[in-house]
Amino acid sequence: MKFVPERVEVAAGDRITWTNRDIVPHTVTAAAAGMESGELAQGRSWTTVARKKGEVDYICRLHPVMHGTLIVR
Amino acid sequence: MNCKHLLALALVAPALALAQGKPSDPQIAHIVVTANQIDIDAGKLARSHTKNKEVRGFAQQMITDHTAVNKQAAALAKKLGVKPEDNDTSKALKKDAQANVANLKKLKDGQFDKAYIDHEVTYHEQVLDAIDKVLVPGAQNAELKGLIEKVRPAIATHLEHAKHVQADLGKK
Repeated sequence: MKFVPERVEVAAGDRITWTNRDIVPHTVTAAAAGMESGELAQGRSWTTVARKKGEVDYICRLHPVMHGTLIVR
Repeated sequence: MNCKHLLALALVAPALALAQGKPSDPQIAHIVVTANQIDIDAGKLARSHTKNKEVRGFAQQMITDHTAVNKQAAALAKKLGVKPEDNDTSKALKKDAQANVANLKKLKDGQFDKAYIDHEVTYHEQVLDAIDKVLVPGAQNAELKGLIEKVRPAIATHLEHAKHVQADLGKK
């Protein structure tokens, strides 16, 4: 159960889409950065646009052991 | 000789011992659904009994995830025309679950939390073992095998999470 890739680098203005390929629901959540996908059931996707440069650590709110990092250049 | 330890072992062993035989696909489907339902029920009991936020969060995760898995399992069984068939492993799992619930209902607060989480750790270890040794190797249908393989990471994460909560409870 993890984000693949766990670390992703994008340019400011890029659109990033997460797709839940797992059987159980997940979220993409970074409260401090205001990122919240809501619960994504199997096969559902969520897209956001990286506007602010920097590094954002995010988790799955339902499974806090899942970590990911989004780097916006 | 530590009798208490022996009793705990004796309680854990039966479901797995029975799982050593080679179940059919309808039996495997039944075991999957039963194992999920057991953890949903335990989660609901914990959610209503515990006063600990971390334990409640874990219990809610068990309810959400195992419900999602069971929906998939039911949909697959329907698609494949497999009618889940009751069997000795499912019966043993249910019997263990009833004993666990009966024990939990007698406990309160910290004792309840510890007993619930300790059992969740053991239970998920047991389920992982059964997935690796019995369910995946035993499943004949590729989609059924695939479903069980897809469930495995969730069970492994649950075990990790349960151990984390167990460690936190131990600090108190």
